[in-house]
Amino acid sequence: MAEAYPRSDSESASSSDNEEDWLNKAGDEDDEEEHEQVSVVSLFDDKVFPDAPAMLAYCKDKFGFDFVGVRDRLGLDFHGCVKLINLVRRSVKEGAALPREITADHLADDDKLLIPVLADDALIFCLDDLPESGKGQQGGSSAEIKAEEAQAGTGEKPAVDDLLQKNAQLQAEMEQLAKQFTNYRLAVEQTLDKRWGVDEEGEKKKAESSSSKTAAPEPKVDDSAYYFESYDHIDIHETMIKDTVRTNAYRDFIYANKHLFAGKTVLDIGCGTGILSMFCARAGAARVLAVDNSAILDKARENIFHNQLDSVITCIRGRIEDVVLPVDKVDIIVSEWMGYCLLYEAMLPSVFFARDKYLRPDGLLVPSHASMWIAPVSDGEYVAESVSWWRDVYGFDMKAMQAGIYTDVKMTVMPKDAVCGTAHAFRMLDLHTAKVEDLVFEDKWQTTLSDKVEALDGFLVWFDCFFAESRTEAVEPSLTAKEWAAAGRERVAFTTGPFDTATHWRQGLYLIDKGKAKEIEVGPGKKLAGEIRYAIQEDHARGLSIRVTWGLEDADKQSQTWLLN
Amino acid sequence: MAGERMDIEVAEKQLKSLDHSEQHYFNSYNHHGIHEEMLKDEVRTRSYMNAIVQNKHIFKDKVVLDVGCGTGILSMFAAKAGAKHVIGVDMSTIIFKAREIVKVNGLSDKITLIQGKMEEIDMPFPQVDIIISEWMGYFLLYESMLDTVLYARDKFLAKDGLIFPDKATIFVAGIEDGDYKEEKIGFWDNVYGFDYSPLKETALSEPLVDTVDMKAVVTDPTAVFTIDLYKVQPEDLAFSCPFDLTARRDDFIHALVAWFDIEFTACHKPVRFSTGPHTKYTHWKQTVFYLQDMLTVQQGEKVECSLHNRPNDKNKRDLDIKVEYRLETQDPNRQAGGSCLYKMC
Repeated sequence: MAEAYPRSDSESASSSDNEEDWLNKAGDEDDEEEHEQVSVVSLFDDKVFPDAPAMLAYCKDKFGFDFVGVRDRLGLDFHGCVKLINLVRRSVKEGAALPREITADHLADDDKLLIPVLADDALIFCLDDLPESGKGQQGGSSAEIKAEEAQAGTGEKPAVDDLLQKNAQLQAEMEQLAKQFTNYRLAVEQTLDKRWGVDEEGEKKKAESSSSKTAAPEPKVDDSAYYFESYDHIDIHETMIKDTVRTNAYRDFIYANKHLFAGKTVLDIGCGTGILSMFCARAGAARVLAVDNSAILDKARENIFHNQLDSVITCIRGRIEDVVLPVDKVDIIVSEWMGYCLLYEAMLPSVFFARDKYLRPDGLLVPSHASMWIAPVSDGEYVAESVSWWRDVYGFDMKAMQAGIYTDVKMTVMPKDAVCGTAHAFRMLDLHTAKVEDLVFEDKWQTTLSDKVEALDGFLVWFDCFFAESRTEAVEPSLTAKEWAAAGRERVAFTTGPFDTATHWRQGLYLIDKGKAKEIEVGPGKKLAGEIRYAIQEDHARGLSIRVTWGLEDADKQSQTWLLN
Repeated sequence: MAGERMDIEVAEKQLKSLDHSEQHYFNSYNHHGIHEEMLKDEVRTRSYMNAIVQNKHIFKDKVVLDVGCGTGILSMFAAKAGAKHVIGVDMSTIIFKAREIVKVNGLSDKITLIQGKMEEIDMPFPQVDIIISEWMGYFLLYESMLDTVLYARDKFLAKDGLIFPDKATIFVAGIEDGDYKEEKIGFWDNVYGFDYSPLKETALSEPLVDTVDMKAVVTDPTAVFTIDLYKVQPEDLAFSCPFDLTARRDDFIHALVAWFDIEFTACHKPVRFSTGPHTKYTHWKQTVFYLQDMLTVQQGEKVECSLHNRPNDKNKRDLDIKVEYRLETQDPNRQAGGSCLYKMC
């Protein structure tokens, strides 16, 4: 293996014992990965090849680019080759022309080129499969041995001793090169942690504009770098894992249904730190594919490795729409895709995409159903603290700060006493069959006001999540998570509503603009009815625009629209 | 109105031309939440109010510069205190809200609000008599605007001009925090039955901004770094200072806690406030630095420490912090020492 590496100058890997330990382990991991199928993506288009030489032959034939030729002409070492690969891939991605003749200057001292353009670029890991420089089998390293031998030969010593010595030297070098390779991987991970999305954003923007001109299926461009970037920080993952309502539900369902997972292939979309993938692996899944487009995936990889589950779980970085999975179909898709008011951040279409492309016809989605709820709110104290307060701030009127208070959805945890009427489930999504079109809708809703109503201050929206054990298990649209879980067998479901433990999703509060709204006569027993409409914001694809219509039953209705950004 | 909308467009364009990290910093201040939190922080806002409106004799007929004016509250205090004119400067688009607020309160002729970087704007007055600013960040210096205040001081403050506030001191104490350390740091050892130790290192290296109960404080608090706003130079903010912590009782030390005090010494009756664990809650809370080891201390024993702080090379609003500690005792089993690196980002 080491012979294939060009000899490098002795840039020794001065890692501490600890690091070495870690690196060696990482190396072991690589060995295992090597037994897996490899798919090498072409440098110039999206054709995929089983090995690097085949791909490069294709590039030479079709695009006239001789990778090995350039490598040998410039005498590139391992890092050089990596830079060359990334230079080419980046140019292709940006739609920029390659230099007529690539010179050493193009690759000099540009550490950015060490960042893989293609996540998990198989070509980089297959560099040792390439033919060596020079003609025939003679590699640079053996040629150099000969030169050194010739020198040594001028002395008196027998050649055998020398050869033995050289052999030992070569072995040491081989080890060192292996170490360098793992060092490179580590360096890349660290660089990515630091720079992902920052340095590349400019490039992405450029790529975006160029790809919009050419409708060709160029490598797809991520137009939501910030969204993925915001998941790089550990705080959000800590918040999510420590949301016990959420994490317990997934754990309880997966561990209580080991028979569903045993021997199965599972896809985890948006795996984060890998917790759900590890639940599935522990529950007996034969294989878990953990996909995430955020740098947190590097932590997931470490977590999975530390828990000895790396033989079951494969981490793949990228958007689910772009990545190439090593399997055609999966048995189960598990995903924690829910956003504020259920649909904010719009990750569900990605789950649908994966479901339609990868899930077996009889496959299971975890969770399986989600329902959305609305209820009227009356909370004078909240209004005083958050709305009226601005009118007298240390003697000054700051009503300007109220802007948005009636046009933006406020994510907050409301006390259950703020709810002043019956809650209404306005939409139930069966995730096995739902379509993207079902996420934009206008539904009817109604409520009977309770004795908690003083004034109608606004509306509260939340969602419930259900984990059915089969595709055929139906969930009555009007059942709450609690009612469904309690009915019959032990079933898993959770709510993000105001009547149970708060979750990190909180609830969406929609305050009525009383300056504009007509006051309606409210009181215990009165019935309100209306519609609720979910739409996607024109200028912000992950944002929502939600309109609520309301009024007394059989009377005129009024409406107001709120944005969730 | 139309003019204002154009201002906003120009401002947004300016924002977009910034570095990504800078953009993020300035934009995050656009959310109302942070302004609401700051205004509702009574210790903070009331201290500034007292320092300004109780000293009308100082502010009367003076030209005042408010660095990082936000919603304009301090500018309005200064105008109420009789200032001849107040210039409020803020990079964030919150300044457009501030303009509306100032107008509604009938102070538009007294207060000029300028959107932009202090270093780049055209000042309507060549010199100012007083600089007011609420520039403090978590741990005093994280994401702080102190460098901007110092720039304004050197460029615009008249000789013998005043700065409100003019003194800031960082304090440190040792705390017993076993339960919470277990919850925050130990949590990653066993996450639903899995080993999450890669995230533990990250958690240890991130100082925790949170409230600390006074009962948790094991040592005497020690002032470790004092800033005199009239004298300090930007390069002084990369500092190293040794200090001792003396145990008040037999206990364990799991972490160091840091906070700061702020003083307005120019006032007729000096105004000061503290963000420490011994006093009322502020939105700055305190900053906790967990140590790798736990120290077992007896009353009267000293822990020798040093604190090293410097702005991050890449993003100067981030801080790289190092804490070194050594417990010297007669009992060899309790001797301990080490050094920890932290990053506030």
